[in-house]
Amino acid sequence: MSKTADLPDAKAMLDTRGLYDGPTIHSMNPLLLMEKIIRERIIDSLFWKEQAWGLNAATLLDRAVELSYIGGQYANQRPTAFICLVLKLLQLNPEREIILEYIQDEDFKYVYPLTALPYRYAFIQIYGGSEEVKDGGSSANGLHRYLRALAAFYIRLAWPAAEVYKTLEPLMRDYRKLRLRTQSGYRLTYVDEFIDELLTKERVCDIALPRMPTRTQLEDLDELEPREPLVSDVDSDEEGEGEGEEGEVEGAGSTDEQA
Amino acid sequence: MSKPSGVYDNAATGDTSFRRTWNREEYAQKAAERQAREASERKERYEAKMAGKKYIPKVEVGGEGEKKFDDSKMIEARRDRIRLDENLNKVQIVPLGSTGGRRGKGPGYYCEACDLNFTNSLEYVEHLNSKQHLLATGQTDTVERATLDMVKERLAWLKQKKREQDQAEEFDLAKRLAERHKIEEQERSQRKERKKVKKEEARQKKMQEGSIVHSDGLQADHGQDYAMMARMMGFGGFGSTKAQ
Ligand SMILES: [Zn+2]
Repeated sequence: MSKTADLPDAKAMLDTRGLYDGPTIHSMNPLLLMEKIIRERIIDSLFWKEQAWGLNAATLLDRAVELSYIGGQYANQRPTAFICLVLKLLQLNPEREIILEYIQDEDFKYVYPLTALPYRYAFIQIYGGSEEVKDGGSSANGLHRYLRALAAFYIRLAWPAAEVYKTLEPLMRDYRKLRLRTQSGYRLTYVDEFIDELLTKERVCDIALPRMPTRTQLEDLDELEPREPLVSDVDSDEEGEGEGEEGEVEGAGSTDEQA
Repeated sequence: MSKPSGVYDNAATGDTSFRRTWNREEYAQKAAERQAREASERKERYEAKMAGKKYIPKVEVGGEGEKKFDDSKMIEARRDRIRLDENLNKVQIVPLGSTGGRRGKGPGYYCEACDLNFTNSLEYVEHLNSKQHLLATGQTDTVERATLDMVKERLAWLKQKKREQDQAEEFDLAKRLAERHKIEEQERSQRKERKKVKKEEARQKKMQEGSIVHSDGLQADHGQDYAMMARMMGFGGFGSTKAQ
C-alpha cells in the first residue's frame, strides 16, 4: 500500500491539531524526529520554500547532487541544504528500495578493490589521496558521495536499529572526502568517519539521533549476526583473502609491494 | 486615453505601471466564477455533512472532486532557481505605504497569474507555493510520488549529464590550453623578433658610435698633429702669432 501523491511541503503534515493519521516512523509523525527548533528554522528557510518545495524522491536527486557539504547549521544558525533535504526525506518517507538506490554507488563499487584496504593511510599512501585517482577516474562519481551521506543520515533517523547497522556498516569502506560545514567554518571529514559517527554518537549535524541499542545488545537479542569484519584484520595476512563479496584481489595484492 | 493626465502620466518617465488599472469586465467575470465555485463548494460541504462524512475540498486529490479538475496538473519541482534578483539594481518608483500582496503590478515581484504584487522575495516564493496560486495556474497541491523506476531513471540521467559536462569542461580546458600555448608561442617568437631587431639596432648604433668616436679621435689626433707640426716648423699657429 503506497501513496500515489506527495505533498509539496511540510505544512499539512505538521498542521494536524494533534490528530496525525499519516505514515509513521518509530510510531510517530516522521517530521517530529527532528527537534522543533531546527525543524522550524528549516521550514522558514528560503532553500526549503524555494528549492525543496514540490520535490519527490526522484527530483530530490537534482538537489542532492548539487550538495557540496554536509552539516546541520552554519553561520547564525542557518540550516544547511543538507539538513533541509534530510527533513524533506522524512516528509516524503520514500520506500526502502529507493533509499537503497540512493546509497548504492555503482561507480564506486568499480573501485571497491582499491578501497577494500585496511586503512585510509594505506589508501592515501598508494593513491596519494588524489581525488581523481580515488574516484577511479570516473568523474561522474563525485555525484554520489553527498547523496550517499544524505541517505545514510535518513536511514539512521528512520530505520529500525538492526537495519541501520546492516545497511550502514558496509559504507565504512568508503573513504572519500566530505566537507562538513559548522557554525565556525568548514572541516574535512570522510564518508567512513561520518558513518561511524552516525552509528556511535548521539548528535550528528546538530540533530539528536533516535536512541539505538548498541550492536552487542542487538547481537544478544539475535537481531543481528556478529559483524563480519569489514576488511581483514590488521595482523592477519591479506594475500589472496579478498574478504567477501567485492573480492577482487588485485588492488589489495599490490598493497604490500607499494607500501 | 480620455482620462485626465495626472502627474504620474508623465510620458518622459513612462513609469506609471504601479498605478492600479481596473478592468471591470474581467473582475465581474472573476467574481461570478468565484461565487459559482463557492456555491458549489457550500453545496458539497452541506451534502457531506448530511451524509455524515468529512468534507474534502476539491483541490485535494481523491474522491469525486478530482474529476472536475481533469486538466489540472500535479506540481512539478522547480527546475531553476526563481529569479529573485531580476529587478536588482533597477530604479523603481515605490508608492508610499506599499506592502506585500497588493493587487496590480508594482515594484518588487509580480505574479502575472494572480495579479498580485510582492515587495519581499520570501513572500513572493510563499505565494508561488500557495493554494491560491496553484489553483490560479491550474495545478493541484500534490506532487506525483516517485517510483523506484523514476528514481533510477533520474539518477542515470544526472550521471549522464555530469559526464557530458565534465567532458565539455575537459574539452574546454584542452582548447584553452592549446590557445594559451599558441599565444605563448606567438609571444615567444615576437620576443625573439624584437630581440633580434634590438640587437641589430644596437649593433648598428654601436658601429655608428664607434665611427663617431673614431672620427673624433682622428680629428683630435689631427689637431695635435698640426700643432706639433706647426711648432716643429717654427710657428705657433695661424693668426695667433701676432698676439704673442
Ligand atoms: Zn500567483
